[in-house]
Amino acid sequence: MNTNLKISNVTKIYPGCVANDNVSLEFNSGKIYALLGENGAGKSTLVKILSGVIIPDEGEIYLNKNNLKLNSPLDAKKNDIGMVFQHFNLFETLSVFENLIIDSDEQRESLREKIDSIMKKYNFSIDLDIPVLNLSAGQKQKVEIIRCLIRNPKVLIMDEPTSVLTEQETSELFLSLKKFSEEGILIIYITHKLKEVMQLCDEVAVMRRGKLVSVSEIKNENIESLANKMVGQNLKTIKKKKAKTSSDQLIKITNLNFTSEDPFETNLMDINFSVNRGECLGIAGISGNGQSELFQVLSGEIISDKNCIEFNNNYIGDLNPQERREYLMAFSPEDRLEQAAIPQMKIFENVALNNFKSSNFFNNGLINENKIKEHSKKIISDFNVNTDNIELKSQFLSGGNLQKLIIGRELITSPDLLICFNPTWGLDVGAINYIHETLIKINEQNKSIILISTDTDELLKLSDKISVIHKGKLSKIMNAEEVTSEKLGILMGGAN
Amino acid sequence: MIIDINFIGLIIASIMASAVPLILASCGELITERSGVLNLGVEGMMIIGAISGFALMTVTGSLIIAIFGAMLAGVLISTIFAFLTQTLITNHVATGLALTIFGIGISAMIGKNFVGIPGKEFPVLFENLKDTIPLIGPILFGHSIVFYFAFALPFVTNYFLKKTKLGLIVRAVGDSPVSASNQGIKVRLVRYLCILYGGAMSGLAGAYLSMIYTPQWIENMTGGRGWIALALVVFSTWNPIKILIGAMIFGGLTIIQFHMQAIGVRIPVQFLTALPYIVTIIVLVVISRDSRKIRLSTPSSLGKSFHKDN
Repeated sequence: MNTNLKISNVTKIYPGCVANDNVSLEFNSGKIYALLGENGAGKSTLVKILSGVIIPDEGEIYLNKNNLKLNSPLDAKKNDIGMVFQHFNLFETLSVFENLIIDSDEQRESLREKIDSIMKKYNFSIDLDIPVLNLSAGQKQKVEIIRCLIRNPKVLIMDEPTSVLTEQETSELFLSLKKFSEEGILIIYITHKLKEVMQLCDEVAVMRRGKLVSVSEIKNENIESLANKMVGQNLKTIKKKKAKTSSDQLIKITNLNFTSEDPFETNLMDINFSVNRGECLGIAGISGNGQSELFQVLSGEIISDKNCIEFNNNYIGDLNPQERREYLMAFSPEDRLEQAAIPQMKIFENVALNNFKSSNFFNNGLINENKIKEHSKKIISDFNVNTDNIELKSQFLSGGNLQKLIIGRELITSPDLLICFNPTWGLDVGAINYIHETLIKINEQNKSIILISTDTDELLKLSDKISVIHKGKLSKIMNAEEVTSEKLGILMGGAN
Repeated sequence: MIIDINFIGLIIASIMASAVPLILASCGELITERSGVLNLGVEGMMIIGAISGFALMTVTGSLIIAIFGAMLAGVLISTIFAFLTQTLITNHVATGLALTIFGIGISAMIGKNFVGIPGKEFPVLFENLKDTIPLIGPILFGHSIVFYFAFALPFVTNYFLKKTKLGLIVRAVGDSPVSASNQGIKVRLVRYLCILYGGAMSGLAGAYLSMIYTPQWIENMTGGRGWIALALVVFSTWNPIKILIGAMIFGGLTIIQFHMQAIGVRIPVQFLTALPYIVTIIVLVVISRDSRKIRLSTPSSLGKSFHKDN
């Protein structure tokens, strides 16, 4: 039986922003549809409307010509629309089976049989009786998918499903999705990754600033044409020039170990590497393999043995972040709003947090506001932060602007080494491009970067050397030219 | 010296009796907290239950009306808390503290007319079996219905949380209200019900104090038991069986230190009275220090407000 899903003139307005502006789309089963757009383009709002999480201000949704009133997620489920969210909607402390039974009306035994047969059919293998927090991201996603499949959905919506997956897991997912599609499930795939659209989908709808800009067949498109539609202008492609090989060593990590008392953190085992001046060392890996612990050890949030870290011929392993900054290290942590900036504080106050002895932000314990504001204005103009109000609270900056502010704050003192962790996570293409250009510029100025990232493409684009972290251990360090994303994927999965 | 074996039985029974209000209030609060709501108003709800039970018993003469009236009073006062924290999204901690202060104040006001009035005798069950078995007889038989209910409650609560669909929903809401809401669970409704249930159990705990344990009304007669109940929930790591153990230790030490004072052991009285509080907490911390289990049983969203963002 064919499924036809029609979105007709849907509009959703938030204060100060039109998230969906009169969007109409039609989908038919048997095909995989991509919904493509940058962050903030309105694609998440649209799928949340389809899954009943958000109620539109105007417009109708029809499934097989029936007008659907989706006032809650329950309504979507009743109408056979399944959705796998970008941020998993799982209960971490409950077991896999408890997660699956919670919204099912079936008896325990018959549900277990049903789950077993689904897992067998699609080659999933997950222990149903362990708590979800022990699963990898890929397994969690499978639990979400099983949760949808239990209800025999007509429509399956996947919201940015690959952001947490390895290459291998991604190709497994694509195989499953193709199988679902052949079995007659209508698949809507939301992403901002162009490569995936080309690989997986049959048709693509592009959204920009809440509006639908184009609907076309994949065979008539290529990556460049889609990118231009998505951004609305021609993007220049940036490329890193091959760095001059320098043998001047800047930082050296020797025999670094970290054992956490928290069983949900990863222990670091025997980390050894060095970075030369003007070099970018990329560290790849699936999130949760020790990246955040490594970042904290490098930044001084976790103190290690003094001799483990040699920076510019000084042993600094026992120094805190503030002291390390004085040695000209700079840090851009993963979570912009939790770790890098304080959202409730104004822009210039956040700038002042990164205080150097030399910067004279404070006189005798009093805040030198003029000095800080002057400094903040310089950051905003030098680093293209899209605001002129330094009194604005940081939480009102978009992700891209906040990241530019943070990188700017770190770089304006021209440090020798910048350590950044997922610097472009969740940013739109324009902002990513800007951050990448900035990072390349740093290397050109003979400064070094340690780039910890879960984005393989980003690493291949920016790094001179690459290593992979898996379960707290680093692989050997490879020259970036010798590495392919497939090879990284294998190492990220733990194989040699 | 020959100690009568039945005397030991009576001491154990009195320890169990003193644990009853703690078990009731803790098991109620446990359900509330498992749904992600931190209600610090247990002391206030207990004292309201105590005065309501005693007042209704005196005025109507009916024990059944008094017991259920006390539970209803607990429900009513917790409705205020639920309305404030769930509908008006106020801070759980501040609201709970206010609830306790309010409860103590209003109970003192209502209680003015009931000071010095003698209570009624509460019927006990299986009294005739008390002397049939030595030691066990006085422990098992001759108690009020509330006593038996309290000792069944931790096991029922455990079963409810682990084996029933509704218990699963309560845990899910406490783990991640956002996910629960996206799954179509009515988070606010679940939390309302859990808060009201907690109120009913606190009310019953208070009524036990003023109607059965010491049948009279004394101002501020809960004497911090509500706070101990709260501590039991946290230090038992939200495990009803450990609440039972903790309540027994607390009750036991309270009773034993009375006897030690009576015998005239040369330890400062202040130290003896403080002993149950600290020992109970130490024991519970020691028996629940598996950090993995703590993580699995701690309601992740505890004390955080939830409001739907569309």
